[in-house]
Amino acid sequence: MPRFFFNVRHRPGPDGLAVDPEGEELADVDAARERALFQAREMIARERHTFIRDWMVCAFEILDEAHQPVLTVPFSDTVPEGDFD
Amino acid sequence: MPREDYAALQPYLETVKLEMRQTLIEPNQPIEHVYFMESGYSSIVSNGGDAKVEIGIVGREGLVGVPVVLAADRSPFEYFIQSPGSGYRMPAQHLDQAVEDRSSLRRFLLRFAQALNVQTSRTAYVNAEYPLETRLARWLLMCHDRIDGDDLQITHDFLSLMLGTQRSSTTLGVQALEGHRMIRARRGKITILDRKTMEQVADDGYGLPEAEYARLIEGA
Repeated sequence: MPRFFFNVRHRPGPDGLAVDPEGEELADVDAARERALFQAREMIARERHTFIRDWMVCAFEILDEAHQPVLTVPFSDTVPEGDFD
Repeated sequence: MPREDYAALQPYLETVKLEMRQTLIEPNQPIEHVYFMESGYSSIVSNGGDAKVEIGIVGREGLVGVPVVLAADRSPFEYFIQSPGSGYRMPAQHLDQAVEDRSSLRRFLLRFAQALNVQTSRTAYVNAEYPLETRLARWLLMCHDRIDGDDLQITHDFLSLMLGTQRSSTTLGVQALEGHRMIRARRGKITILDRKTMEQVADDGYGLPEAEYARLIEGA
């Protein structure tokens, strides 16, 4: 299975990106997106970080094995459309 | 440990190598051996359905097998090697007997049981009360206390397991500590650079079990 790296963008600029040095093996890009959404939901529900005030400005910047960007998954994608109406 | 008590255990001690991830005590199985580690350290973890969360760390400062001292033949938790090393093991039945025969040994090991109980209780407090960076700093300090040198062989994946968190939360936490130059993180390795600042980040999460250990065991 291909390996995907889940970098987390929490604010603009080089200091605002937490780099995933290990990655995870997943079937394909769809599976990587599902994995990102699952982690985002868990983090929003359960995690507290000293430097993150708003999860909704955060996004996963997912890279492939060659460290090329393949997908961006904003944490706000965990909220179904319509909830903002 | 009092010298006469050590002499009473000595005939039963067997030198052992302790390998990474080696299980020392299986959950819900009769405890066969207890371990005194000389290097490396072990984790006590509570297993759930999918989850596994660390509830204690024991290295060269203590005994792996406290339930035996507390007159229990087994434990619901798993004990395994988190950082490889070496030490001694002895059959649990001989420790049980020695504790029965020797009140000085019993009292010494009960004081360690209390020190470990304080550590686990503090872990519950820290997990409930503090953000990930605090918990991460505390955990790294506790591991650092139990090794020689400053390098911890550890992956984000394993760290997440130990802290009961998502892997990406660990990635965020590691970046925060590294951004303030408290640690240097490479794939599979974390180097402690600035313990003093880490102790500030760990806040009152770190220090209480360590002081209690010093008071109970080292007579500080």
